[in-house]
Amino acid sequence: MEKFVAFAIKYGFLIVMAGSFLAFGLLEHSFWSWSNLFSILLGVTIVGILAIGVTFTLIIDGFDLSIGSTAAICVMASSYVMVVLDLNYIFAILISILCGVLIGLINGLLIVKAKIPDLLATLGMMFLIQGLQLIPSAGMSIGTGMMLANGTEAKGEFAQQFLYLGQGRLFNLIPIPVIVFAVLAIIAYFILQYTKWGRILYAIGGNEKAVKLAGVNVERYKIAAYVISGTIASIGGILLAARIGRGDVTSGSGLLLDAVAGALIGFAVLGVKKPNALGSVVGVVFMGMLLNGLTMLSLPYYTQDFIKGIVLVAALIFTFGLSKSDLSS
Amino acid sequence: MQKKPLIRAVGISKRFGATQALSDVSFEFYDSEIFSMVGANGAGKSTFIKILCGFYPDYEGQIYINDKLVKFESPRDAYEAGIQVVHQSIEQGIVQNMSVAENLALEQIVSPEASFVYDEKKIEESAIKIAKKMGIEYLDMKANIQDIKQSEKQMITIARALAKKPKLLILDEPTSSISEKEAEVLFETLYKLKDEGVSILYISHYLHEIKKISDRVGVIRDGKFGGLLYQPLVVSKIVQAMVGDIETSISSNSEDSKDKKLIIELKDLLVEGSQTPINLKIYSSQIIGLIGLIGAGKTELAETLFGIRKPLGGEIILNGKSIVLQNIHEAIKNGIHMVPENRTVNAIIPQESIKDNIILPFLDFFSKRGVLKPDQEIEGADRMIENMGIKCENYLSSIGSLSGGNQQKVVVARWLLMSHNIVILDEPFQGVDIKSRKDINVYLRENTRDSCVLMISSDVDELMDVCDKIVVLNKGKILGEEKTSLINKDKLLSLITQE
Repeated sequence: MEKFVAFAIKYGFLIVMAGSFLAFGLLEHSFWSWSNLFSILLGVTIVGILAIGVTFTLIIDGFDLSIGSTAAICVMASSYVMVVLDLNYIFAILISILCGVLIGLINGLLIVKAKIPDLLATLGMMFLIQGLQLIPSAGMSIGTGMMLANGTEAKGEFAQQFLYLGQGRLFNLIPIPVIVFAVLAIIAYFILQYTKWGRILYAIGGNEKAVKLAGVNVERYKIAAYVISGTIASIGGILLAARIGRGDVTSGSGLLLDAVAGALIGFAVLGVKKPNALGSVVGVVFMGMLLNGLTMLSLPYYTQDFIKGIVLVAALIFTFGLSKSDLSS
Repeated sequence: MQKKPLIRAVGISKRFGATQALSDVSFEFYDSEIFSMVGANGAGKSTFIKILCGFYPDYEGQIYINDKLVKFESPRDAYEAGIQVVHQSIEQGIVQNMSVAENLALEQIVSPEASFVYDEKKIEESAIKIAKKMGIEYLDMKANIQDIKQSEKQMITIARALAKKPKLLILDEPTSSISEKEAEVLFETLYKLKDEGVSILYISHYLHEIKKISDRVGVIRDGKFGGLLYQPLVVSKIVQAMVGDIETSISSNSEDSKDKKLIIELKDLLVEGSQTPINLKIYSSQIIGLIGLIGAGKTELAETLFGIRKPLGGEIILNGKSIVLQNIHEAIKNGIHMVPENRTVNAIIPQESIKDNIILPFLDFFSKRGVLKPDQEIEGADRMIENMGIKCENYLSSIGSLSGGNQQKVVVARWLLMSHNIVILDEPFQGVDIKSRKDINVYLRENTRDSCVLMISSDVDELMDVCDKIVVLNKGKILGEEKTSLINKDKLLSLITQE
């Protein structure tokens, strides 16, 4: 029995995932087509990228609630730079990333220096950014040829190269955002698994005081975790802007919860019980696959959030509930 | 006339997976006695206690109370049956955001019969009544629990356990974080309770306490019954029963300091919170013990040497050069290592492996451009595991799964892994069994050649075991130092406690 539980904790999630992959394909053969598989991946790219970011903050036992709105403000910023300011798309990318870095830095400083609890600090930032993104465009979405406040028409437009980031495909098959997602995932996995920085981030999450007494500048690492989270969120925002091709004021909604859910589901992957890059990626891909498969089997659209919730709760039970109850510690 | 036992535990066995934690252990507890239980860390003491308290309902064997067979399904059952336990970890016994009074009267506040309206005055009245049992009614009842001393928190948890007139009171390492004076108060209370008919099960690593207060001593060794000892108790006999035959004293380094190198010198060092400058010289291969009561300034001194606090004046001279430490990182770079007190709070990272816990301060050394070098890490960790005799499956076992003594070995190993000038050990033997203590001491003695050790403790015996010289610190002032071989214990104690 104990062996079975140990096995279930370690591989249960992956088995369920493989099982549903088989089941969907058998019930609906087009599920297995390359185009569908890549559309699943493309569908979860933005959420997946944000999930990688939030993983860094979860690892240090923190939380970043502002990732969704960071991505959203980057959608608006890059659109504004190209459409209203009529600047080169390179500036759009640089300014968006700068936004992400700055937001992360402010989050980090609020938490580390002003000693505001992480949830509250990033909640505050989330509100602030959500409001801020509306101001330059006076609350309107930004699109090519929009009317500006002074009555003239916006001169700029989305550059083709920029749109390629969101809509292009390598070899006419693999979407560019999926490649970006994969590269980010591999980098994050490598850093967290094989470098001293990853080791220190995990150690901070385990016992901050002990890491401090080991001579590590803990504050710098904590701020770095939020800067990484903000930066990665801004990359998500850039890809999102490139995909939808306009600065949509509502584009950020829903990103946060899906990304966090993905990262939390990731705890259950291979039973590591810790935030981890591989788990976060698998978590969001699993959710995307499940929703895609169920939709093909004519599941109504409005039940999606309910399904996501069930998956999250089940994964949390895998992670926390099935492990040995530990009254002793 | 043969007294009848109050509680009998017969043939208790318990297994965790593949590990047989206890096998066929039987003990009897009588009214009006202090029964002490001893055993090395991991011997099975805590498992036995947890079974008695209803934490593990799935054990083998029988427990009888007044000859009636009982079976505890939950801690609540044991509590109802009159078994009260005060756990080792104080934080487990108190509620952080409540006042002293609320903590004392906690049972009353959470009881189902509590009145719906919160009656502050009534709570305070009963709190004072409970406090009187431990003689701590002088505490400010309205104070927040976080603002009182660690030892006072401990007294509160004990007072609360006494409130319900227990039949059997279990105290798990109650003196591990209180001073000797406070321990005396605790012992007086225990004698009084004993006279009132309470049976007390006392667990401690401090054998001199056990020798002093116990009527009988029960030994658990490797999960089995290890024997019973009666008054008059002899410490060496207890040790023998606990761990078998081991050398009782580590040959102290008695050579003179003439041909040795001066490693660190504190010159008129003025530490925060003290008015008296400290002067101290430590030579290579020396192990110096620093003793003093809680509040004597030991930890402040250690933290100053480790770059956590800035000295208010004076100098730290390391290998002939005066150094100024801005932070811990610089201290480590200068080869000053420190094992902090209270490993749970300050040292261990519970989920991570033994290897990761050992390597932690030296990740720069074990990585190249940030990328870790796993082979070298494993080699380093394995070396320390073997040399210090850390009992574990392998270097990947999480430190949280080890017994207290082995956890401490890992923490000490962390700071002995790399070469250093001095290693400071602050209360290194809190909650560490005697066998692990010996292992650590032997390792220190054998590996302190070109470096030196400053061991800080409030326990004379701990220091006399291994140190060459003992320095007495009292209210921030060094009152005297003496070679261990020449020490007169009475004189030493009087220096330590001098007002």
